Amino acid sequence: MQALIERIGRSVGGVVGTLFQAGRDAVDLCLKTIIPFMAFVTFVIGLILETGVGDIIANGIKGFASSLGGLMIVCVICAIPILSPLLGPGAVIAQIVGVLVGTEIGRGNIDVSMALPALFAINPQVGCDFVPVGLALGEAEPETVEVGVPAVLTSRMITGPISVVVGYLFALGL
Amino acid sequence: MDALVAGAEAFIQVFRTAADVFVGFTTGIIPIVVVFLTAVNAVVKFIGEERVEGFAKWASQEGWMYVPVRYTLLAFVAVFMLTNPVCYTFGTFLPEKNKPAFYDAAVSFVHPITGIFPHANGGELFVWLGIAAGVEIVAPDMVTALAVRYLLAGLVVILIRGIVTDIIFSMMWKSRQGGGA
Repeated sequence: MQALIERIGRSVGGVVGTLFQAGRDAVDLCLKTIIPFMAFVTFVIGLILETGVGDIIANGIKGFASSLGGLMIVCVICAIPILSPLLGPGAVIAQIVGVLVGTEIGRGNIDVSMALPALFAINPQVGCDFVPVGLALGEAEPETVEVGVPAVLTSRMITGPISVVVGYLFALGL
Repeated sequence: MDALVAGAEAFIQVFRTAADVFVGFTTGIIPIVVVFLTAVNAVVKFIGEERVEGFAKWASQEGWMYVPVRYTLLAFVAVFMLTNPVCYTFGTFLPEKNKPAFYDAAVSFVHPITGIFPHANGGELFVWLGIAAGVEIVAPDMVTALAVRYLLAGLVVILIRGIVTDIIFSMMWKSRQGGGA
């Protein structure tokens, strides 16, 4: 009897402990990464909305982000193997451009149907800075890394524009 | 004097607007992300590493039938369960020649997944949220539909990336061996 109670107590304790730890991890992530980035992003949004900067950026972005062809040009540029590792780190560039394009969508300057292709167009460089580390995490041999890095970067030149088209097709009928 | 006041007014207005947006994000995004993160973190812990690894071994087998499994399902599970950047460790289970393609597939999924499962890449939410915030203003009822489509389109894209990178890698590998070092 006592053993049973002990077992129940222990497993309940385990479950509660796991949930509590999960909550702690969640709040930790929020405080340490999500909210700081949010502060930065909202400041950028404030600048865009309240100063003339927004209109200048809007004119620049509008030409590219309101047509499929324009988005593909943006995508190809971001995917150039020399640029992509520079644009990659922390997805900071993709996040800023995401906010810029999103703000313009909110103001009605860019059509909503462009949202999905734009999500892919601004991001062909994802992880291009991280290829050696990512491969090392997968315990790849040094030779694999040596060939793998240019392989991934080259592949993005092809799959980047394809991803924009895929996004465009998936946005049909939205 | 008036110009000075107008200047100060315009200056402070930037921060007022930014603060309004910040409050909007805080009440709109943070609560759901915290609750969601907690739930998924717990689920991941309850399922346990062993079972996930067992699945990874199964999905990492050679053969063309496993190509879609490897570059969609395995990448999805890796990013969902292990999150960015630990997800790339699943490459361990794969043959050497498929590691770059798997990395390409997995890393390309860390943003499409955030529309519905923000826990997977909490530090880089604003690729999705930035655009979603704009859509929210113009067409609030479309945001969820857009998130679902972003996820599905992401799966298609990572499959294509996996296949293309596999081909390019094997071409580069052969020309390197052939060229003689």
